[in-house]
Amino acid sequence: MQDRQKLTDRQINDDLLRPVERTPRAFWIVAGLLVLELAGALVVLGLVFYWGLGFLGINRPVMWAVLITNFVFWVGISHAGVMISSILRLTHAEWRRPVTRAAEVLTVFALITAALFPVIHSGRPWRTIYWTLPYDFTRGIWPNVRSPLIWDPSAIFTYLTGAALFIYTIMIPDLAILRDRATGVRRRFYATLCLGWRGTARQWRFQGIAGILISAIILPVFVSVHSIVSWDFAMALVPSWHSTIFAPYFVIGAIHSGVAAVTTLMVILRRFFRLESYITPDHFDALGRLLIPIGLGWFYFFFMDFAIGLYSQETVDIAPNILRLFTPPYNVLFIIFIFSAFIIPVPSWFFRRVRRSPLLMLVTTLLVNVGMWLERFLIIAPGLQYKQPLTYTWGGYTVSIFELIITVSSFCLVALGVLLFSKVFPIIPVWDQKEGQRLQDEIQTGRRKVPAVILKEE
Amino acid sequence: MSEAGQEPGEFWDSRPEVITRDILARYQGIGPGFWLAVGITAILFLIGIVGFVFRLQGGFQDRAAWGYYAATFAFLLATVQGAPMVTIGLLFTKAHLRRPVSGPSVLFAVPGILVFLIFIPLLSLIPPLQGRNNLWFGMAIGGAPYTWDTLSVGFLVLCGLAFFWLVSRPDLDAVRQLGRGWRVRLAGLLAGNWRGSHGQWWLLRKWMVILGVLYFVALVITNTVVSIDVAMSLVPGWQSAIFAPYHILTSLQGGVAATIVAMGIMRWAGFRSYLLFDQFWGLGKILLALSLLGIYFTFADFITLWYGRMPGEQAIFQLTMFGPYLPVFLAAFFLSFFAPLLAMIWNQVRQSIAGPTLVAMGVLVGLFLDRIRLYVPAFTAAQVSLEPIRQAPPAHLPDGADLMMMIGFPAGAILLYLLASKLVPAISLWQIKELLLLRTTRRYIRAKVISLAKPE
Repeated sequence: MQDRQKLTDRQINDDLLRPVERTPRAFWIVAGLLVLELAGALVVLGLVFYWGLGFLGINRPVMWAVLITNFVFWVGISHAGVMISSILRLTHAEWRRPVTRAAEVLTVFALITAALFPVIHSGRPWRTIYWTLPYDFTRGIWPNVRSPLIWDPSAIFTYLTGAALFIYTIMIPDLAILRDRATGVRRRFYATLCLGWRGTARQWRFQGIAGILISAIILPVFVSVHSIVSWDFAMALVPSWHSTIFAPYFVIGAIHSGVAAVTTLMVILRRFFRLESYITPDHFDALGRLLIPIGLGWFYFFFMDFAIGLYSQETVDIAPNILRLFTPPYNVLFIIFIFSAFIIPVPSWFFRRVRRSPLLMLVTTLLVNVGMWLERFLIIAPGLQYKQPLTYTWGGYTVSIFELIITVSSFCLVALGVLLFSKVFPIIPVWDQKEGQRLQDEIQTGRRKVPAVILKEE
Repeated sequence: MSEAGQEPGEFWDSRPEVITRDILARYQGIGPGFWLAVGITAILFLIGIVGFVFRLQGGFQDRAAWGYYAATFAFLLATVQGAPMVTIGLLFTKAHLRRPVSGPSVLFAVPGILVFLIFIPLLSLIPPLQGRNNLWFGMAIGGAPYTWDTLSVGFLVLCGLAFFWLVSRPDLDAVRQLGRGWRVRLAGLLAGNWRGSHGQWWLLRKWMVILGVLYFVALVITNTVVSIDVAMSLVPGWQSAIFAPYHILTSLQGGVAATIVAMGIMRWAGFRSYLLFDQFWGLGKILLALSLLGIYFTFADFITLWYGRMPGEQAIFQLTMFGPYLPVFLAAFFLSFFAPLLAMIWNQVRQSIAGPTLVAMGVLVGLFLDRIRLYVPAFTAAQVSLEPIRQAPPAHLPDGADLMMMIGFPAGAILLYLLASKLVPAISLWQIKELLLLRTTRRYIRAKVISLAKPE
């Protein structure tokens, strides 16, 4: 990080705790609009549960479409938290400090939203209880342990528990600052949550060890979640789904969309909460640099999946790709997908001017997520639409307006979650920011002063 | 440092001129141990060439006979070409860890010449594209696959050599100025017009990044096309999209392992002051991460085929994992992926110098076995057909010529590495001295801490 500012502890406290301690009118307006949209979505969901999934236009053979696309998309976004927070923490990347919590919070709300979609997609949400939980074991009714309805919730809830624990452990010192500044009920609330934090050397040591341990332990969980989601498809023997590369391809796709989503969120938070002194162009530059190898890696996996899908030259393998490439509307969506997920954003990040511009980073990262949503849709729908032997019930599929309303609502739900979190807890880690200030140093080499970081005890 | 009879310390505690003197003294001095190593590897390499001549007498008609030769090539391609990526990867992440590691890792670019030479005969064993599945979809555009495979391997080797030369130029200039004997002339020739001007340093850094990117792209492309053309597409019905990424991953793992082993040997040979605990610890963590990814990739391949139960895929499953090559697969999996996890998870092993070195040796053996379990069955079951194979053929055991090549060619790679270490200093002088400018120790409250600068 080269653009360094010297900030006092008081200034950091005031700036980063302002969103928690004061509520501007804009907060109420935005929160109100989000709640209103979600209320509309609840009406649509009521109709879906009353009439059944056919109300959304889902029918054989395309039984998985937009709802499952949303599920995969939000599980993907949730990978940002660990990618940014855990890996950057383990590699001691200094620029991580203002970015980590927003990424972790995005993980939690994206996961909660993702978990809702299989439940909605069941059409009868109350039934998912006995598909997933062994509630009636006295009569010998057990859930099918080989079913995705067991594995997906297991993976998601393990990851959700880990991610929530991760946020909480790292946030304890900030909760103590809030306790010391608050009064009344709020003081009792933060005092309960901060577990008697006094900032002793022993407490700092344990907090540090816990942060590193959770960072390391959560990594396999992070990889397993999207792998399990990918195997929901790869095990199905559906042409274009049954591929050995699906697990790592889904994971790197998740990282691509997740890190892009964190960047989008950072631009919005910076503007909304006036955090220009903390989230600087240097941070966008670092995120842009990180996104380049991730984007290229994702494209390589996409290309291998695509090329080896055509490799056997058998009709059954080629047909879904012909649907994607040459049949409207999938071909139009495919062009939008490839341009927005890769061709426009990734080369543009090679330019320093793009990486350092919050506006351009906002545009390019939004494009990535438009593309990545379409990528999931183009994996799911055309794969099922291909007419297979011995299938006699045949219907077409078009995306319905109600599916789009539910999709928009999922974005509103995540946005509302992040907004409410930032009202109650600091969205940039206060103590982490102060630690970063204390570890800044400079080394004189010849006539030049080079920014340095204090690393460890000799 | 290495003043006679003095116990070597860490290079942090030395002055730049002492470091220059020490590294150049080690570079110029050739002890009996070095000659012994050169002699042994040269003899083994000759044996390998004899084995190759024996194999050549049988011609190229019997593909199965060349399986172990192909496996040896694939092993050398993975390790030798993967090793420079250690420096390039650490350069991209601006990790100062790379500076002492750079020499041992980039020297592996020189044995790349041997990799290219071994690859050429393999071209005669790849059947034409017609009548079989292949990466080129049956279109022999521009002489595919022969031309493009050769170009990709050649380009990779050339990029490696160019990177090696580029990184070595400042050190060659130091040899020109401070060295003695025939090396001064040779170093002068290789250093060219290097004078260490501001512009030259700027260009050096720019070109290191450009060549680094090109090298990585070449590594990805070469591993992709060569692994599919020389193994997967030979067997009808073998259709695994993870095959090429698996090759790239194991190449990176092999490169890290080879660098750690080279560092361990160099440390033993006298470079204790430069190859410190930090370098072994840092590379050990990368090796552990790559091993975990190896387990993940293997499992992704396994579970999809196992769960799918498709007849054609079951035959491939038998061919490469659970058929006649089961012991080789298990040994490869254990040594490459599982043993590093079991060993390196312990702080005592990971935070040592002997631990990562021993684990890395195991990884290299495991990688060789892994290439055997992939390439030998591929060459044994090779057919020009669109019909997937139904049954895995029995195991093909190595004969005398195979054993001679399997020992001789890796020995040839080591021989070239040893000779290259006397062409340029084995530890990058300028990178170590640059690090001294960017690192300092300070008092911080009551502790003494390290402060490290990272210029843009």
